[in-house]
Amino acid sequence: MQIAEGVQLVTFAILSILLVGAALGVVLFANIVYSAFLLGGVFISMAGIYILLNADFVSAAQILVYVGAVNVLILFAIMLVNKREDFKPLKNGWIRQGSTAVVCAGLFALLSAVSIVTPWSISTVSPLASSVVPIAKHFFTDFLLPFELASILLLMSMVGAIILARRDFLPDNLGATSTQDSLTLPERPRELVGK
Amino acid sequence: MNSGIDLQGTFVQSLSDFGISTELAKILWMPFPMLLMLIGATVGVLVNVWLERKISAAVQQRIGPEFAGPLGVLQPVADGLKLVFKEDILPAKADPFLFTMGPILVVMPVFLSYLIVPFGQNLVITNINTGIFLWIALSSIVPIGLLMAGYASNNKYSLIGGLRAAAQSISYEIPLALSVLAIVLMSNSLSTIDIVEQQSGYGILSWNVWRQPIGFVIFWISALAECERLPFDLPEAEEELVAGYQTEYSGMKFALFYVGSYVNLVLSALMVAILYLGGWSSPIPIELLSNLAGVDPASSWLQVVGASLGIAMTILKAYFLVFLAILTRWTVPRVRIDQLLNLGWKFLLPIALANLLITAALKLAFPTAFGG
Amino acid sequence: MLKFLKQVVDYTKETANAAKYIGQGLAVTFDHMQRRPVTVQYPYEKLIPSERFRGRIHFEFDKCISCEVCVRVCPINLPVVDYEFDKASKKKKLNSYSIDFGVCIFCGNCVEYCPTNCLSMTEEYELATFDRHELNYDSVALGRLPTKVTDDPMVTALRTLAYLPKGVMDPHDLPAGSQRANSNK
Repeated sequence: MQIAEGVQLVTFAILSILLVGAALGVVLFANIVYSAFLLGGVFISMAGIYILLNADFVSAAQILVYVGAVNVLILFAIMLVNKREDFKPLKNGWIRQGSTAVVCAGLFALLSAVSIVTPWSISTVSPLASSVVPIAKHFFTDFLLPFELASILLLMSMVGAIILARRDFLPDNLGATSTQDSLTLPERPRELVGK
Repeated sequence: MNSGIDLQGTFVQSLSDFGISTELAKILWMPFPMLLMLIGATVGVLVNVWLERKISAAVQQRIGPEFAGPLGVLQPVADGLKLVFKEDILPAKADPFLFTMGPILVVMPVFLSYLIVPFGQNLVITNINTGIFLWIALSSIVPIGLLMAGYASNNKYSLIGGLRAAAQSISYEIPLALSVLAIVLMSNSLSTIDIVEQQSGYGILSWNVWRQPIGFVIFWISALAECERLPFDLPEAEEELVAGYQTEYSGMKFALFYVGSYVNLVLSALMVAILYLGGWSSPIPIELLSNLAGVDPASSWLQVVGASLGIAMTILKAYFLVFLAILTRWTVPRVRIDQLLNLGWKFLLPIALANLLITAALKLAFPTAFGG
Repeated sequence: MLKFLKQVVDYTKETANAAKYIGQGLAVTFDHMQRRPVTVQYPYEKLIPSERFRGRIHFEFDKCISCEVCVRVCPINLPVVDYEFDKASKKKKLNSYSIDFGVCIFCGNCVEYCPTNCLSMTEEYELATFDRHELNYDSVALGRLPTKVTDDPMVTALRTLAYLPKGVMDPHDLPAGSQRANSNK
């Protein structure tokens, strides 16, 4: 078991360094595109840690959902908006940054103290060969309600997205309706039931 | 389960006989299949490029590459060498780090996906339980690399190409995953080995195409879209976008994109072969033939013949699909971006969902025929 | 309800039709694969240009009477005719004549109207140069005769479709011995 443990330790060290480094990069980079790409790095290293914990299905799902969908969506938003704004340097900006740093350091200290003090019960059960079946069983027995609620939430957001995307704007009288709220475009009224 | 030749077992066994610990022997074994797969994938690309050029030429009544080697087989090698020796140009205002990372991120997951491609009972790098799901997950990393390449080039064509490619990749992943799900439902496993095993009973009759014809078509269309093959190659539509996200690339980095796209095509063809065309199993089951000929099925030479036949079968099926893709390339014109998204979201997605539901219903109704 | 059903049926029919048309297209491309290539291996094989081929223009200096008809009929007045009037013989004496083939559209009007037939079309079409000014041919360059495709020992001359015997569609398919437009092979 000597080699396997060594490999595990080294992999864990590499993945943790990657994870923490990428996460710090997400927060500290001034360029938002770098932050978004590094977020993908965070998700991938997290998937690696899941693999190390014998949760292969969870790690693949992590990559599929977070890297393949969420991160790509964030990147899309950043690249399509593409608004370059030069912020004025704040007066006494260091107070803000300093207080943020103090709060973060305090939070980190608190969490590390908790994680060191807590007597974790380390499971001695040998890992399952396949995590897919137990996960599915949980989904359809004791976690059925949260599972279904999550799917309803997704359905709701999908319907909302479709309604937002299907709005018909009136481009011809854009100039005429300047009395309206400046943030909304004139919309063509639409009957709710299709013809 | 463990029939067929087990090269790893034999290797580890023989090294243990020399007094090396089993663990060390396993680690020593690990690089061999990986290296073999890497070389195999690269040679597959060369063969693919040659085939593409020859078949395109035949379709257009030309001759195609002819002078580099017999029948021009060395032409792809010459192309590759040219790309290696070309200058690596970095555009003046491009982002150097992201510009380099883009092609790497595009190529890596594609090569990683070869981990789960089986060529026989034990001829696979890793038989992990999430097999086919891992492939879908890995292929979802590719759009990030494309976005990265598009953004870092600092070129509007590149950016639009990258965005298009990412949008296309995400949209067609869903029908792809749904049609894979129908297969998984029938074989009760995500592992590619189990999926092939489940199809191997009655030769050609037990292949999944007959039970999943709609899924097969949906999967193939989505796979073509994922690979950006011609009816769906609008991320690099040369009339509108010069070359899409590859516009600013040259030399080795361009070669990475090029290799990546062809490896992806071969990989998709292999996946279709595994999921729908019975993987390594031959149209007439080899056990039946050996029984007819009265050969002992456990004899070692039959195992060797079976394994080589399995590899040949997988590759043959894959290259038949590649041929189909090339023929489609010269038959169907490129779709517009709205047609592409309409096809993906309004046609393939509902049909894939219906296919999944029907498969589930059939599985409940006829558990013997649809994997109870 | 019936209307909805009809919509579904129509949609299904459209889909089936689309699939059918793609299948027909694939059949066409597949059928093309077994046809013989029409390729002419250009630098090694060349098609014989037809008699009425409008290639580079040939000019005979001695025949020219400097009438400038060629300039007048040219769509862009391209030929440059440099002459002076010889008082003694009361004739125009041609000094030089040139045509810029970078601009010429090979319409053949000058050849058509030349009263003394000093202009004629050749079968030469390989005019590429590295410098466009080299395309401006003077009377010496215009007077050169091109190498005939059939006389070139490096080239296999191929007949075009109209000059092939009946039933033969491809110049490569000619029976041995009959392919001899080439005089030196």
